[in-house]
Amino acid sequence: MQASSHITERQVGAVVISAIIGVGILALPRIAAEEANTGAPLVTLLGIGIAFIGLLLLTLLGIRFPRESIFEYGQRIIGRPLAYVFNTCLAVFFILLTALAVREFGEVITSAVLRRTPTEVTIITMMILVVMATRQKLLKFTYFHVFYLPFILVPGLAIVLVSLQNAELLNLQPIIGNIPARYGKGALTIAALFQPAFIVTLLIPAMQTPKKAIKSFLGGIFISGTLYMLIVCAAVAVFGPHEINHLMWPTLELARATTIPGDTLERLDAIFIIVWVVSVFTSLAASYYISINGAQKVFGSQDHRFISHFFLPFVFILAMIPKSVFSLYVFVEIVGIIGLALTIGYPFILLIVALLRKVRGEPHGNSSEVQETD
Amino acid sequence: MIRFRNRKKPQKNPNLTTRRTPGTPEKLTGCLESDLMIVRSCLGDSDDIEIRHLHIFNEFQGVIIYYTTLVDTLSIYRDIHKPLMYKPRHLEDKSIHLDNLMDTLMNETLYISETARVSDGADILDAITEGSTVLLIDGIPGGLVLDTRQIEKRGIEQPQTEHSIRGPKDGFIEVLDSNISLLRARIKVGDFRIKIVRIGKRTKTRVALCYIESIANPKLLKEAEKRLSKIDIDGILDSGYIEQFIEDHPYSPFPQVQNTERPDKATASILEGRVIIMVDGSPFSLIIPAVFNQFYQVTDDYSERFIMGSLVRFIRLLAIVFSLIFPALYVSIISFNPEMIPTDFAVAVAGGRAGVPFPAVVEVLLIEVSMEVLREATLRLPQQIGGALSIVGVLVVGEAAVGAGFASPITVVVIALTTIGSFATPAYNAAISIRMLRFPLLIAGGMFGLYGLMIGLIIIMNHLLFLDSFGVPYMNPVTPVSKQGLKDSLIRGPLWSFKKRPSHLHTLDDDRLGYEGVPKAEPVLQSNKQGE
Repeated sequence: MQASSHITERQVGAVVISAIIGVGILALPRIAAEEANTGAPLVTLLGIGIAFIGLLLLTLLGIRFPRESIFEYGQRIIGRPLAYVFNTCLAVFFILLTALAVREFGEVITSAVLRRTPTEVTIITMMILVVMATRQKLLKFTYFHVFYLPFILVPGLAIVLVSLQNAELLNLQPIIGNIPARYGKGALTIAALFQPAFIVTLLIPAMQTPKKAIKSFLGGIFISGTLYMLIVCAAVAVFGPHEINHLMWPTLELARATTIPGDTLERLDAIFIIVWVVSVFTSLAASYYISINGAQKVFGSQDHRFISHFFLPFVFILAMIPKSVFSLYVFVEIVGIIGLALTIGYPFILLIVALLRKVRGEPHGNSSEVQETD
Repeated sequence: MIRFRNRKKPQKNPNLTTRRTPGTPEKLTGCLESDLMIVRSCLGDSDDIEIRHLHIFNEFQGVIIYYTTLVDTLSIYRDIHKPLMYKPRHLEDKSIHLDNLMDTLMNETLYISETARVSDGADILDAITEGSTVLLIDGIPGGLVLDTRQIEKRGIEQPQTEHSIRGPKDGFIEVLDSNISLLRARIKVGDFRIKIVRIGKRTKTRVALCYIESIANPKLLKEAEKRLSKIDIDGILDSGYIEQFIEDHPYSPFPQVQNTERPDKATASILEGRVIIMVDGSPFSLIIPAVFNQFYQVTDDYSERFIMGSLVRFIRLLAIVFSLIFPALYVSIISFNPEMIPTDFAVAVAGGRAGVPFPAVVEVLLIEVSMEVLREATLRLPQQIGGALSIVGVLVVGEAAVGAGFASPITVVVIALTTIGSFATPAYNAAISIRMLRFPLLIAGGMFGLYGLMIGLIIIMNHLLFLDSFGVPYMNPVTPVSKQGLKDSLIRGPLWSFKKRPSHLHTLDDDRLGYEGVPKAEPVLQSNKQGE
């Protein structure tokens, strides 16, 4: 009676989307506009492009090694000791990413809905929720992402739609941005927002036909990228490139600035924040899941439930390190860019070495049986 | 979500039919006196046991044993005593020996349709306690079991817990055979199968698995049989006992087995490829596997036309959501985010709460608890008093509580709406679990406002997504998505669009419909002048 334990390509696409859209969506327009003013949409596009390349490398590797995740085939490509170092780095990086994201989340909650509740409480409750979710098996974990997908996409689109009433097209011109516009750093920081999508490497081995992963990953990047573009465009069009620099979370301000006609609800920001909790939860869970899996490989342990509990205090301590929101964003930028070197560079090296050494994974399916009959 | 260890079920003595009470003899000897001694020692000196000696055809010594309280006495007199004592005319010139006596009795003498020869002492005792009459004959080892069971039963009435506006009005009763006949009358195919097992060391309750062999998944069936066979308990008094032994996650607040009193619902489930478990002595049949969707669906949805059916179903789902989150939402908005609601209304709410001595969460909690007490009291009281109680409880106490400044009018409105919402859920077991879950949500909302409410909801949702019922994901067909299943979930699609059975049941025969597309109606009554 057991339902198929394979993950379908649509489910992978859903996980990619819900992993990508997370905490970053609130600060996104500011990051994009900070250095490139009206060129913000262009910067976002660049960022999406960088993230796309990184994930493409990862997916190609996944197709080449259809039965393993990056933590496993890394060992076969560049050897155990080196892969061990990289796996550790990946696990540590994703723990750090989780910690920073959950801190950012805590700051938003404190400033928007729970003004007198300490940030620590929000962080702890959220992390407990994440730990409870990441204890599950991969298939159930995928179900969470699939189910919450509408709750992630709909509020974002709704905000974009209702903010159109205040939009000024002039705020978006010139499209390439006023000179001097620097695209580089903004694009990299935005690309870093896509990092939880790294989870595809864990999903591909669970798929029936890993070759189809490329389709789901393209779809996932396309949908989440479109939402990001729309939000950046809407925020810049409403506030203008200079005003945005003074707003900590422009997307939240978008929600705050809009009212729905009919006077039933005066303020939308609390509702938006609350629904946004879901997307934070899914993307936190994704990056935490990656780090747990990586750590499992590093420690050579089978008990991922134990590791999931074990890391909780570390995440909490790391999350409390930045002294304020401002230092938090400095951390986020640095960690994001270092992480890009890891999440794009490492797969890149692996792919090159794999191509040169002509290492291949076992084909999917019942290869062992085939070998026996041969 | 919260993952529970699989409960260890008792493993010993898996074979149900050979379970015996202690001190039961193995075999009957054939010597009437010693056999009777054995039977007497096992049945003791109950006053309702009848051991009647008789001379069969004036030649053989025999005895019939039965419980007077379980049998049809008239049938025993007419169909057993009479033919045994008066040698029937067609046997008058035949000579009957001890060797062929049993066959003659079974085939030519007794007017009882269900007869069986048994030699095991335990089987004979089982048969007697079941309501059969046992005939023992001197010189023949073993006896003859004659079905003379007659049990008092009530008539078939409209089910009390599941009303329907349109659709069949009959409901299951306590007698298993009548219930099976209700199903058999509806499903007229040969491969509709009934498998009966006996569960319960002392009650030996008959438990029937009903399914259509060419539809139901054999794995599901095997799993159900396996779980049933592991039950080792003194007595099964209701199908609820069985449910608690076979469900996947006993610590979950959500029911993973559906129950119904309605034969039409049971039939529909069987046709979908599910398995029905019926228990002798309980009017509730169990439906496995069950997914969350089933708990807000009723048979009326399918009887009415599909647009109306969908709308009504949607309202019911809304009622579930209402009954779950409404109090928590109210508390968290009032105490944490009053800026969300329009200023005029916020002022009115604050005015209503002016004299209330507690914070909003305590106030709502108090009224909620008293509402639950009231609901329980109304349920337990005789129907005649129940009405009076609800008037006194709701109208008088509610009004007085507001007047006394104990609660604000809006709180009372919120609680009333919540309670009504929870009564709109058709499945009582699902309604109760949701009603209970709103208390933790309320506390979370009172502590952390909307954020707490959301965290609570995510925990509940994650738990639902994690649940399984007999290997079927509980949130199916919403997650994992099944296109065919979605047609019969939030909305109730047209019957002619249900081409396949629910895919999550992995049925042997998928097809429900014999044709494709919308059925077209021909305009028969249109006037056709040329033809006249």
